[in-house]
Amino acid sequence: MQDIYSTNPRTLGRAICIITGASRGFGRALAQEVSYFLKPGSVLLLVARSNTMLQELKEELQSWTEEQQLVVHCIAVDLSTREGVHETVRVARQEAINEMDHVLLINNAGSLGDISHFASFTNLDEVNSYLSLNVSSALALTAGILQVFPCRPGLQWSVVNVSSVFAMQALPSWVLYCTAKAARKMMFGVLAEEEPNVKVLSYSPGPMDTDMQIDIQRLTGAKHHLLPCQESAAKLMKLLLDNNFPSGKHLDFLEV
Amino acid sequence: MSSTERTDLGRALCIITGASRGFGRAIARDMSRLVKPGSVLVLAARSADDLRALQAELAESEAGKAGLVVECVVADLGQVEGPESVVRASRAACSEGIEHIILVNNAASLGDVSRYAKCFTDMTEVDSYLSLNVSSSLCLTAGILQAFPQRPGLQRTVINITSLCALQPFRSWVLYCTGKAAREMMFKVLAEEEPDLRVLNYSPGPLDTAMQTAARSRTADPSIRKSFSDMFSQSQLLTCEASCTKLMKLLLEDTYTSGAHVDVYDL
Repeated sequence: MQDIYSTNPRTLGRAICIITGASRGFGRALAQEVSYFLKPGSVLLLVARSNTMLQELKEELQSWTEEQQLVVHCIAVDLSTREGVHETVRVARQEAINEMDHVLLINNAGSLGDISHFASFTNLDEVNSYLSLNVSSALALTAGILQVFPCRPGLQWSVVNVSSVFAMQALPSWVLYCTAKAARKMMFGVLAEEEPNVKVLSYSPGPMDTDMQIDIQRLTGAKHHLLPCQESAAKLMKLLLDNNFPSGKHLDFLEV
Repeated sequence: MSSTERTDLGRALCIITGASRGFGRAIARDMSRLVKPGSVLVLAARSADDLRALQAELAESEAGKAGLVVECVVADLGQVEGPESVVRASRAACSEGIEHIILVNNAASLGDVSRYAKCFTDMTEVDSYLSLNVSSSLCLTAGILQAFPQRPGLQRTVINITSLCALQPFRSWVLYCTGKAAREMMFKVLAEEEPDLRVLNYSPGPLDTAMQTAARSRTADPSIRKSFSDMFSQSQLLTCEASCTKLMKLLLEDTYTSGAHVDVYDL
């Protein structure tokens, strides 16, 4: 039973936390931040394509995770493939869910896509490939994890969709990115409507100092004041800990 | 000064997907009556038989007898060759004197509404759905815009047949809502990019079609299914013709804001 007089800081409980795109940028910052809020016995699944970078991250976290008795698994897969999604679900399934009180899935992996005139997108395979990683994969992974960890009393379930202002704002030459973000926002909105026991948050992290932003600047020439990833990741943690939002809500770093 | 509403769509090349039945067929029929002689309709769908029947019907119509050309493209838009074949046929069919290009992105599928989001563990199924319902409309529109670039004297109109589902989530409708939301954003980006293009996101309302029948018989969520059944039993469904008349009015008045979502019930 929870000790309501405890002076311990707030936590995300004894959780299985899955973060996609964990090797760099916002995903990496999320892995670091979330580890501060996981109780002993928690499991952190870090998913990305690069095994080297995932292992580096795991080593970086090692002294803290050992001290806090957190288990860290690296899953080096390409989430744009069904094999990648299945492997992630398979590893998750092996975890002792009966002892967990929280499943936290952060759908962060995403790509910018080609920034180009609308009329240039005549290649169906290119567009399909983009939507597969940025839309289909997030649905299939979320569904897969929901299947292996069904809702039950005593199990908190949280899903985060890493979103963007461009889920709601149309930007010339950004048709792929805007379309996928708008698709995801709706997709997770439907999930929120369907699953009263799953707390769904679409979080727009703001313009951060990531490789994706380097690409944006190179392709568009636009220069923004960039947030450190850590700052936006910390804000997301606060939102999850406060847990004050209605499921399905879309929140932006700047609003909260 | 009174507004001068057009009474016709000019000498037009009209490209309509999903033209063999339902709303697409109604659009083909209405457009045939509103375009001037020398116009061309390019009708795309999977069903060769249904397309040919429509082609024959239009050939016998007043417009057909006055010289309206109707081309059929049998294509599965979800496959690479699909959008390409429609663009090729459109290029081939376009004649001199065409002053208006109208592309109607109507083809769509409902997706499996008998399952909830948590059941969509098969990425291939989702990919396939998005290919037809999202990617193909991007690639087709891009191909048509490339084939018929902006020039003086040419009006270009792009229509996306959308839905309330683009704006609002519905339980057990994850694929359809996701696809419609994606398309709506896609065409908003187009409207932002191309101020000379007329882009309309038209939501036709609950139509009495095969898609509607599937919706009311297969929707998993009990309350959503009931609302579809009720619409049917209370005669609240619109005929394709009635909704199409509204769409034609919008096109003739041509005062909508490019990129806007316009619902049949707004008019």
